[in-house]
Amino acid sequence: MMEASAGNGLVVEGISLGFGGLQVLSDVSMSLRPGVITGLIGPNGAGKTSLFNCLTGLYHGQRGRSSFAGTALNGLGPAQRAACGITRSFQNLAMCPDLSLLENVLVGLTLKRRSGWFSAFVPTPAQRVEQQEAERRAIAALNELGIGAFAHDKPSDLPPGTLRLAEIARAIACDPRAILLDEPAAGLNAVETRDLMRALRRLMRPDLVLLVVEHDMDLIMELCEQIYVLNFGKMIASGTPAEIRAQPDVIRVYLGDDADD
Amino acid sequence: MAVSDLAQASTARSSAGGGRVEIARFTVLALVAVLSLLPLLAGGFLLYSLSLCFANALAVLSVSMLVRYGGEVSIGHSFFVALGAYAVAIVEHRLGLSIVVSLPLAVLLGAGAGFVFAFPSRRLSGIYLAVATMALALALPEILIGFEKLTGGFEGLYIAQDLIPGVAKSLQHYYVALLVLVLVCLALAHFRKSAQGLALLMAQAQPRAAEAMGITRSWARISIFTLSAALASLAGALTGFASSTVSPNSFTFFSGVFLLVGSVVSLNRLSLPAALVGGAFITLVPTYLAQAGDWVPILYGVALVVVTLGANAGDLRRFLPRGSGR
Repeated sequence: MMEASAGNGLVVEGISLGFGGLQVLSDVSMSLRPGVITGLIGPNGAGKTSLFNCLTGLYHGQRGRSSFAGTALNGLGPAQRAACGITRSFQNLAMCPDLSLLENVLVGLTLKRRSGWFSAFVPTPAQRVEQQEAERRAIAALNELGIGAFAHDKPSDLPPGTLRLAEIARAIACDPRAILLDEPAAGLNAVETRDLMRALRRLMRPDLVLLVVEHDMDLIMELCEQIYVLNFGKMIASGTPAEIRAQPDVIRVYLGDDADD
Repeated sequence: MAVSDLAQASTARSSAGGGRVEIARFTVLALVAVLSLLPLLAGGFLLYSLSLCFANALAVLSVSMLVRYGGEVSIGHSFFVALGAYAVAIVEHRLGLSIVVSLPLAVLLGAGAGFVFAFPSRRLSGIYLAVATMALALALPEILIGFEKLTGGFEGLYIAQDLIPGVAKSLQHYYVALLVLVLVCLALAHFRKSAQGLALLMAQAQPRAAEAMGITRSWARISIFTLSAALASLAGALTGFASSTVSPNSFTFFSGVFLLVGSVVSLNRLSLPAALVGGAFITLVPTYLAQAGDWVPILYGVALVVVTLGANAGDLRRFLPRGSGR
């Protein structure tokens, strides 16, 4: 499976990460295939966020390799990975409070915009066309997630569910090739979680790599086709939701007593 | 609350916001109209003070811009202001050219100097960057006196060339400064909506998120400092032009501190009225309070405390006992 997907997916092989004497990740491998919603679960402290940060370039593993669509990612920082087409969302909502929702999404298009410093201060016809095009794309992204009506609101006026969707809108606005979502359902109520799941399914495309790191077991089981389970920095299982449900290791460390129902 | 209710509330909010924008726009237009007609009624010292006030308003804007878009504080922007002012004077003395040439040159010089300072200090922020800028302000008088041949030493230089020969000097100073101030405010309003402006605001509020969108912290820090220094230098060029003279006395260590004070008093806002309040505070207050003598610094201090406390009243309320003031 891994060999077949290594060409166009996001692949990490043998990643190890330690802080001083604490080994956070040891020899972790995973392969995220395009067109498949992949889930990463694990109990608190399992190393999910550390692995996520290794994928996004915030941390760099002491050992191991990572590549995206055949391009090596080792040593690249977050901004350079963004230039490769990898975007992410944040566990704590990362919206700029001074900007409207639309403007927050527009920032996601920064790498796609070509207007120079002169036109940042002096309106030019080319800059106006470019601005309109960017706004069109940002509004399309907001509409795709069903929150176009709030385009001109400030984040402080909106509930967390809407902001979470707006973060995803920002991530998809620039037509990324990989979207990594860090606990997208954190702090959402049941209705908002359902909206989120529907939105994620809708934006899935055959060429898109989509990873969801989540605590919410039900969401992962329902949403993802491929699931990885992390515990104490080691990958203990991977497979389809049915396979994961049947894994005794997973039941023991993560699902606990609730697993039988 | 259902989504449709939320959407309705949002529409109501945005129409209320639209009304506010209209009022703000009308206020600015009225202000510009009044300032444009003022020379018909007033003259002499008032026009001179206002010309300086406009130039200082630009300098205040340069500091506010750094605060707004970079989240950083500079104590040493007087360095870049002096650079612009001396550029005008030196270009006139050495090349015999007017501000048509020296104004754009001052902007470029300011940007260059800003970049040269910002590049090595791109990893500094907060108090460390402020202290680094302080070094600029402290070194400035010595530099101006040390390069006596170029800068005229203690005595400084005169700026005498007209922009438009035949028109009264005071009118030229007044209208050029006002025109540049209005244009800069328009440019800043446009910048707020530009890709670069949004990227800088995001880099300041959410540096990690910005980085994930391809906006690096170094890029943001270097860009905003360079822009702000260019604007400070433009302000300096107009200060020189409006006051017809440059000398080390106008650019002491405290000039940098006062620019920061002006920025705080204008609540770091980048609009024309706010810039005028900041410019007026550091230009007109000392002039018209001159007879108060030793009391000037004290009045300054009191005004600063009042503005700072007033602007942050919302935050201060939490220090009040529970149940009062809510």
